[in-house]
Amino acid sequence: MSAVREAIVLPLLFLTIALLAGARIGAQVALVPPSLFSLILATMLIAALVRGGAFAPERLLHASRSTVANANGAVVLFALFLATAQILAMLTPATGLPLLFVDIFLFVTLLNTLVAMPDRVRLLRSLAVTLISALLLKFVVLASLSAPAASRTSRLLAALFDAATFGSITQDAQSPAAGYLAFAAIAMYLVALALLQPPGSPGSRPPRDELEAASGMQSLGA
Amino acid sequence: MREPVVRGAGLVAALAYAAVIAWLYATQPQTVAQMTGGLASVVGAYQIDQQAFDDGLRFFRAGQFDEARAALARADAAERDARTQFYIAYAFYRQGWGRLYHDDALFAKGLAAVDKAIALAPAGRLVVDDADLQMRSADELRAELQRGLTREPSDFNPLKVFRTRK
Repeated sequence: MSAVREAIVLPLLFLTIALLAGARIGAQVALVPPSLFSLILATMLIAALVRGGAFAPERLLHASRSTVANANGAVVLFALFLATAQILAMLTPATGLPLLFVDIFLFVTLLNTLVAMPDRVRLLRSLAVTLISALLLKFVVLASLSAPAASRTSRLLAALFDAATFGSITQDAQSPAAGYLAFAAIAMYLVALALLQPPGSPGSRPPRDELEAASGMQSLGA
Repeated sequence: MREPVVRGAGLVAALAYAAVIAWLYATQPQTVAQMTGGLASVVGAYQIDQQAFDDGLRFFRAGQFDEARAALARADAAERDARTQFYIAYAFYRQGWGRLYHDDALFAKGLAAVDKAIALAPAGRLVVDDADLQMRSADELRAELQRGLTREPSDFNPLKVFRTRK
């Protein structure tokens, strides 16, 4: 990894993601720290990134590196953790049953990823799908259920839905800007993850397809 | 550019940016003026708009409290000056004060403003040297606003109509 990428690009990118993902846009803009559960999920996600070869911490922090280089590495590690926790907190609904279900969904998905140990490319693809799914759920599906209804009929339907679910599904209404902000934060996060460990760099695992092709060729040769 | 220079500059920039983000989380500014003013006050470069402050003081002394608050809010757009916040709180007090009863909404806003002034003052001690005021410390003003918001039997004392506004 180049010094510019490690010392400037990645820290600034991850810190910006942490800032954007922490913003909750309502009647007022609030910056919310990550929940305890999102810190646990972030730890699991970073462990999955390490196991999948998408992130090699020994390339950021090592006794053979200079003090300043290790300090740069520590900043990247800290910023990555903060950004991951904030992204996961941002995608989690604030209250009710959706909060429980999304927390379970993210926990099981990350646990499965951690155990399956996919290669870097598959891991990043899987992570993109998970994050985009959670984004759609919170900022499209739940937001449309919780948005203030325009007509009398929609208000009546919303009230009936709220009564039928004991108010456990609907969330506080969000500003339309919140979804765009979340999309930007996720896009930046995926780009930053891709920059963490470029394919082919020392420490990254080759894609599974290549490994399978190589083992197939070996068996043919034998 | 040499690698150590890039690494050093990147480290300083990242730590400074992280400090700004931590500050934003801690202070939760709501407007751009609050954010820029807050950052300026961190480095000791924040100044109120003196002209707007003088206008506010003139309105305050003339009993035009809405106008006074508007000018004072303009003077201290970032809400970082303890003295200006004190006058805003005092304007709420004087406008909300009544011989028979106080306006609780205005007193509550005054209490919030004086709390802000106390939080901004060094060591929480704020004394304003102004002969026009009967309460010159933020502590006195806060206690008076707090008393106005509290319901107690002495509120029904008919002799209270003879009290005067401070």
